[in-house]
Amino acid sequence: MSASEHERAPVDVGSTLAAMSQATSKVQVFRYSAATWNTHRIHYDKDYAVAEGYPDVLVQSHLHGALLARYCTDWAGEEGRLISLGLRVRRFALAGETLNVVAVISAVALAGERARVTLDLTETRGSDGEVCVTASASVEIPAGRLAGDAGGGPA
Amino acid sequence: MAIDGALIAGLQAQVGVEHVELLGEISAELIGRYAAAVGESNPLYSDAAYARSRGYADVVAPPNLLAAVINWGPGAPYDRLRDDGTEAEKHLPGVPSHGVRVMGGGEEMTFTRPVVAGAVVTRSTVLAEVGERSGTQGPMLVLRYSDHYRDGAGAVLMESVRTVLLR
Repeated sequence: MSASEHERAPVDVGSTLAAMSQATSKVQVFRYSAATWNTHRIHYDKDYAVAEGYPDVLVQSHLHGALLARYCTDWAGEEGRLISLGLRVRRFALAGETLNVVAVISAVALAGERARVTLDLTETRGSDGEVCVTASASVEIPAGRLAGDAGGGPA
Repeated sequence: MAIDGALIAGLQAQVGVEHVELLGEISAELIGRYAAAVGESNPLYSDAAYARSRGYADVVAPPNLLAAVINWGPGAPYDRLRDDGTEAEKHLPGVPSHGVRVMGGGEEMTFTRPVVAGAVVTRSTVLAEVGERSGTQGPMLVLRYSDHYRDGAGAVLMESVRTVLLR
């Protein structure tokens, strides 16, 4: 879903936001380790990962966090801002796994021309639907989005 | 080293002690590489002209970049790396480098100010809490570390509370 489509969606407590799907890869996991100077073998050495009890190399916990942050900032749009993100990794994801992120709006608080929206996020593995990460985010958006132009669909 | 009284006493002695580390300048190159690795397409992270049009002096870092970088220095020589490829842990004050299994238990990040390329960032780390829990595989310690990332003027850019499990 594009940022403009996000901005037309209703902002109501209980609403489920559009899902985001991200196919990870070993190349991505390698580049993320390189960019963050993460030398842990669990992310690039399959033999090591197998010895640790995993089928293959793993997605970094911070990459999970980065995907959730991206979901929130995409939803917030240019005029919005991610205030906080708390997450807990519950199950591993192998490099190459497709990760699906979705959020439910659990609270909305109006403060003048801005609104603070709490999102309850879940990231699941595409291969079996198991939950990898649960998270909560606070996102600030223009209050005008609450009023909703809500019924609008994609352009 | 197992989870025992000596380990717990050592950790409790660290509670409240502040460890400050100069991380260095956040370069546009680091931001660009990080954003590319994540798969970000937001021009705020890669296009300085666009970032300036949005009121920033330069490109802006994706929210969790500061928390995600594992090592801000050049890295240790190979003969000082552990079997898992990492250095002896520098970012977990009080935790021994061998003999305990370290697991992530979650992170709460608060993004106070945008991190703009060129910012010189310092991190202060405090072990805030040491808790004990009995797990299915024996005793476990639950540590909470509080990190504050500040710019050169001392303004807080980001706060993070990390939960770390020791077994």
